[in-house]
Amino acid sequence: MASDVLFRQPLIWFFFIGLFLFIADSQIGDDRREIVITDALRDRLATLWTTQTGLVATEAEVNSLVDNWVKEEVLYREALRLGLDEEDSIVRRRLVQKLGFIAESEPIPAPEIGELEAFYQQHIDDYTLPVRYSLQHLYFQTIESAQQALTQIEQGVSSRDFGEPSMLNPSFAYRSALELNATFGADFAGQIADFPIVSWQGPVQSGFGFHLVFLNAIHPEQITPLEAIGQQVNEDYRRARQLEARDLYIENLLQQYIISVELQ
Amino acid sequence: MLRQSPFISALLCVAALSACSDNSTTVAVDSAEEAAVPVSQPFKATDPASVRTAEYSVERNAYFGDLHVHTMYSFDAFIFGTTSSPDDAYEFAKGGSITHPAGFSMSLQTPLDFYGVTDHAFYLGVLREMADPNSELSKHPVAAGMDSLGGAAERGVKFREVLGFLRGPDGDELNDPEVGMSAWSEIVAAANRHNDPGTFTTFIGYEYTATASDGGNLHRNVIFRGDTAPNLPFSRLDSSNPEDLWDWMDGLRDQGMDSLAIPHNSNGSNGNMFMLTDNSGRPLDDAYASQRMRNEPLVEITQVKGTSDTHPALSPNDEWADFEIMPFMVASTLASQPDGSYVRQAFLNGLRMQAEDGINPYKFGVIGSSDTHNATYAGEEFDYWSKVGLRDSDGILRGSVPMLEPNSAGDIYVDTYFDTWSAAGLAGVWAEENTRESIYDGFRRKETFGTSGTRMKVRFFGGYDLPAADDPDMLAKSYSGGVSMGGDLIGEASRAPSFIAWVAKAPDSAPLDRVQIIKGWVEDGETREEVYDVACSGGPLDPLTSRCPDNGARVNLSDCSLTNGSGAPELRASWRDPNFDPDQHAFYYVRGLENPTCRWSTWDAIRAGVEPNPNLQPTIQERIWSSPIWVTPQL
Repeated sequence: MASDVLFRQPLIWFFFIGLFLFIADSQIGDDRREIVITDALRDRLATLWTTQTGLVATEAEVNSLVDNWVKEEVLYREALRLGLDEEDSIVRRRLVQKLGFIAESEPIPAPEIGELEAFYQQHIDDYTLPVRYSLQHLYFQTIESAQQALTQIEQGVSSRDFGEPSMLNPSFAYRSALELNATFGADFAGQIADFPIVSWQGPVQSGFGFHLVFLNAIHPEQITPLEAIGQQVNEDYRRARQLEARDLYIENLLQQYIISVELQ
Repeated sequence: MLRQSPFISALLCVAALSACSDNSTTVAVDSAEEAAVPVSQPFKATDPASVRTAEYSVERNAYFGDLHVHTMYSFDAFIFGTTSSPDDAYEFAKGGSITHPAGFSMSLQTPLDFYGVTDHAFYLGVLREMADPNSELSKHPVAAGMDSLGGAAERGVKFREVLGFLRGPDGDELNDPEVGMSAWSEIVAAANRHNDPGTFTTFIGYEYTATASDGGNLHRNVIFRGDTAPNLPFSRLDSSNPEDLWDWMDGLRDQGMDSLAIPHNSNGSNGNMFMLTDNSGRPLDDAYASQRMRNEPLVEITQVKGTSDTHPALSPNDEWADFEIMPFMVASTLASQPDGSYVRQAFLNGLRMQAEDGINPYKFGVIGSSDTHNATYAGEEFDYWSKVGLRDSDGILRGSVPMLEPNSAGDIYVDTYFDTWSAAGLAGVWAEENTRESIYDGFRRKETFGTSGTRMKVRFFGGYDLPAADDPDMLAKSYSGGVSMGGDLIGEASRAPSFIAWVAKAPDSAPLDRVQIIKGWVEDGETREEVYDVACSGGPLDPLTSRCPDNGARVNLSDCSLTNGSGAPELRASWRDPNFDPDQHAFYYVRGLENPTCRWSTWDAIRAGVEPNPNLQPTIQERIWSSPIWVTPQL
């Protein structure tokens, strides 16, 4: 039968149910929207008042706070109804920011020591100091005087008898190549990198003149032990987890969307 | 019906300490979330003061930096095409690179020790917002075309249009504290993220961009000592009167938040930076002087927009006064009058007030900085990218290289003020170690110097018990027996103080020509100045003229090579003022001069394969200025 077929169509059922709901609503409904002032709201506003002023709000003050809140709420809802939030970049950025905070504020459990250790190993470059040098130097304006001084030092004369005054410190401890070049000029560190330690070498040219260099030590790349920078690793770990949580959150949301490109 | 209470709303606003913009009367309910925006929260625990870094030295180290850096958040930088963030700026200063909007890569040969991003507080982030077609701000008539700015000329026109509007009566229409707070929290966070005690120091800062009624420049950079800052910076929209800025800073200091303001481009102030009256025309008094000095212990003496040491019209007997003079008011081609616009004259006027009224509002130290609007320090002649993005990114735009063909008026070079700009300004400070606290305290002591861009260093001591200049223990003895730059001496009737002036060349620039001491004093109510050469590289000083002989240094303008053998790596001298009078107020500061090298405009021309622009100085004597030492007569 045709009517049987018709009544088996879900669409038709939806139509009738919808019609019923519409009629029912128009009979009993009130098209005014409702704002409920709960005790919880009153308490919240009163507490806020106390934290901000240090005073306990009187009954009248709470009423006034609620009054203001209601007016603002009405304006807020009306603005939403009119769609004023759409295509407004400030509202958009604020909402995105808030959701970002929520995504990032998922409590991150304190890492197990193994986890922290693994993170530290993965990012070991961040916790590794470059090759550094500890050195003394003697300064000379000319290469000849530097050469002569070296010859005499090699014959056993004390190095303290040589060198011309300069604003450069006479010794430097634990300086990287970059730091030495900033002090002496661009090509300095490269010239001393292969010097044997604990002997006077040179002359080495700098931006100021010539130097004899005594390397006290070359400190190889040094990994700072986890115990020494546990706090920084912990902070870095939390930051990384936060960013991960945020990425994951966005990734999950993306699953719920179909992103398509409209071709012209 | 509940009673409305605007008073309570206002109270809540104040109590919440968040900006109460006109359209949100009740931010109180929001304040819990506001607090979650960590603008005024420390991001990184500071090391306790007791922990010293490896480099710590009681005799102090010289550190170099730039405290005047604009990023994409500055309204003008954005128009110029800059898209680099504060993070990018700090990475650059540490040795990274940034791509200029014109496409080339910018990086430093030597990383800097400290850096402070100082974006314009007014309209912070607003222009960026205008370029977003979804923003309310993009609907403003001034925003037209902001998202599709073209070449240099178009950007120049837009810059003048926007600046005109912002400075005009309706400028407020474009103010948006929400946008500003968001940008400011980024700036604060970036500074704290990149601060690395012992290695690299950052400062939270911004530019207060006020202008006098005649268009004279009153700009200052505000630098914070700590890792916290107020929710929004105090801008010219709050007040164009710098005295109101100082009130704000005083208020923050009372809350434990110390900051200092560093005026810049006094040269473009048309006499407004160092006036003899306050902002409303009243004579300066003790309250003004002490408030100004409490808040402005330093002044930027040099930067890309010229040098503000002195002007030939003010110092006719100083043969080196005509150095990188930028004769205009800022962002215009209207002349800026020299009177009231230069540092040395301010020192002199301060001395006279000290002698007459016992107050000195101009007893400040000096630094240099760049004022880059590309986020990248711009002080190297041989690798110059100037500072306003696509407007001055090549030699033609900067007037150092001829246009492809002469214009209709027959001009060969572009008509521009960019050719009066310099590759300049480094800030130098003597500090125990490279930490925020140590460097900032050096600023407060005024133990600072400025350079025109190269890493020269200067030591300067004054006192009655100074050792010989070549004493092996000179530094320790000078610190204990005298004062360093920025300090005060009391004149003694029986003997004259001595000074030690010591300058070292930059490791990667030319040797030194000479070291000078510049003296200013008050005699019979008149201010006087004198330049003394005190150490020469080219032979003995002529005692009659107080001048060094020519050291013979020359520059080959075809390839910028230097003559060998002239100049010195270091120069130092012990010096006594031959005309010292214990009854006079006086100041002394050091100026050290390098041998000449090619100016940026000459490098531009050589690279373009053309002759240098004959209207521009082909060479430059890079220089260093110390903060003064003041000598006050005994009462």
